[in-house]
Amino acid sequence: MFFHIVLERNMQLHPRHFGPHLRDKLVAKLMKDVEGTCSGRHGFVVAITGVEDVGKGLIREGTGFVTFPVKYQCVVFRPFKGEILEAVVTMVNKMGFFAEAGPVQIFVSNHLIPDDMEFQSGDVPNYTTSDGSVKIQKESEVRLKIIGTRVDATEIFCIGTIKDDYLGIISDPGAAS
Amino acid sequence: MGSLEPFNRLVKLTARAFYDDISMKGENQPKTSRGDNRGMAVVVLDALTRRQWVREEDLAKSLKLHSKQLRRILRFFEEEKLVTRDHRKESAKGAKIYSAAAAAAGDGQAGTKEGEEKVKLHTHSYCCLDYAQICDVVRYRIHRMKKTLKDELDSRNTVQHYVCPNCKKRYSAFDALQLISYTDEYFHCENCNGELIAESDKLASEEMGDGDDNARKRRREKLNDMQQRIDEQLKPLQAQLKRVKDLPAPEFGSLQSWERLNLGAFTHGDSCAADASRNAQGQYNGTPMPYLGDTKVDVELAGSGAKEEGAESGRNGAELKVLPPWMVKEGMNLTKEQRGETSNTSSNGDEKSEGKDAKKQDPKEDEKSIQDEYIKAYYEALKKRQEQEDAKMMQQEGHAFSSTHSERQLGTKTKREDGDVEDEGVEWEEQEPLGNTSEPYKFVDLNAEAPESGDEEDGIDWEEG
Repeated sequence: MFFHIVLERNMQLHPRHFGPHLRDKLVAKLMKDVEGTCSGRHGFVVAITGVEDVGKGLIREGTGFVTFPVKYQCVVFRPFKGEILEAVVTMVNKMGFFAEAGPVQIFVSNHLIPDDMEFQSGDVPNYTTSDGSVKIQKESEVRLKIIGTRVDATEIFCIGTIKDDYLGIISDPGAAS
Repeated sequence: MGSLEPFNRLVKLTARAFYDDISMKGENQPKTSRGDNRGMAVVVLDALTRRQWVREEDLAKSLKLHSKQLRRILRFFEEEKLVTRDHRKESAKGAKIYSAAAAAAGDGQAGTKEGEEKVKLHTHSYCCLDYAQICDVVRYRIHRMKKTLKDELDSRNTVQHYVCPNCKKRYSAFDALQLISYTDEYFHCENCNGELIAESDKLASEEMGDGDDNARKRRREKLNDMQQRIDEQLKPLQAQLKRVKDLPAPEFGSLQSWERLNLGAFTHGDSCAADASRNAQGQYNGTPMPYLGDTKVDVELAGSGAKEEGAESGRNGAELKVLPPWMVKEGMNLTKEQRGETSNTSSNGDEKSEGKDAKKQDPKEDEKSIQDEYIKAYYEALKKRQEQEDAKMMQQEGHAFSSTHSERQLGTKTKREDGDVEDEGVEWEEQEPLGNTSEPYKFVDLNAEAPESGDEEDGIDWEEG
């Protein structure tokens, strides 16, 4: 799920950036530092949408670096248990398949894949129904439900299932070609 | 207070369904308690259905259990949310009356007695079934059981676990990212690089297999079977739950409020609060009051006991009071149904009173004579029984009282019968205090206890004999 929230961060800026464009430099550095990171609490920071406030800088003794407390608005993405996501399959093996929904990695183990789909090894490993009408392989897009998340300080990993109504393949690139 | 019987039945069913093989073994089991005490939990629960608030020591005594053992069981049930417990400090037995009054009233009233300085406060525990919560707990428990099974059946929402056959290290699907190997399509152990195998579900662990179709099918069958058995075996319990769902649960309130309520019925009007609580203590420590209020037969006699001279009306009211919950809840076609139940139910007190009601209701319209016959016979028997019981009892007045009282019933009963049925049950609590305005009732209610507790056993004897 996406959230638009305000976060705060202390930015250290090298003295060489001090000048008329200090604020721009600060924001650019903030984006470089923060976007794409993940915190267990808020999830993945997708994008910074604005800087609310830059506080008074504090010169660090010895180094000359200045610390600015910066408040910024950002879009974060945090997966939740029970959430339905659309994801791209990145790897298929006998134990199940891995998929990515943006920055989030999701593993769907083979017992959470419908019973009528079977693993086919080979050049392009895939899960296929007996009549071959549905095939999950690398680059397939699947809709899945998250049944568990493991949230570390800097990482979120999810377990998903496609064993439910309206879950499974959305569009099959193999069928199109 | 709602009718207890369906709830008691629920408790009994629950006890047998879920707590049948609970063994209350502590880690440091003393070697004196040999053998297994499974089934003890059921006995305790059953005993509690026949009581309201009861002091744990008294309960232990009457169950011939060690109080520690009982406490362990009760603590277990408290955790299971079936039982509410209350602990409070009370004086040692010797000084109980004064100190209890003082402590309970808390106002140093009645000139703190000389016992005060040598009073040692002991914590006494009381326990009581929490019927409303029991319903919820049992329903939730069944729901959880079914849900777990169903989830397992569609293997939905379950996190797959993997185990290394070499070093037995266990992984969950959450670790999948670290476990993938790029050489083949299996997961590999972090320690020994062994190939991990998927661990099959706990419920069907015998059907160990690495998730191939056959094993999966067999597991599914097993779970289906288990589900069916659950449905089948819990059917009576669920039927009872359904029946009880719309009934108001009997509510005893907290220990204090329950005590107050019951004391209100028993103490005389001019007694002050301290007196009341003292009386309470006396009853707890002496004759076991908790036995009195619970079965319906008891209540009937308590009603008559408290109103001495208005005995006919009191008697009648108390007797009819048994009826209302049944009449109101089960609709008006109760007579035959009631009879059906009376033959089935194992609860003696109810059986007796119900039988009486049924008898009383039907013939009222058609044949008075049969009714009179029955009543006469019934009271003959009752009287005889009471006399037997009373011989055992220490209190002689109780004997005299109950016999006179039952004699009085013989003549007057038929004419009082058309007293309105609904009201009696409801008003019973209030009626008591009304009657309790003068001193002599104190005697009466003390006496009344003896025949009552006697009568409960009486009912049981009757059944078995």
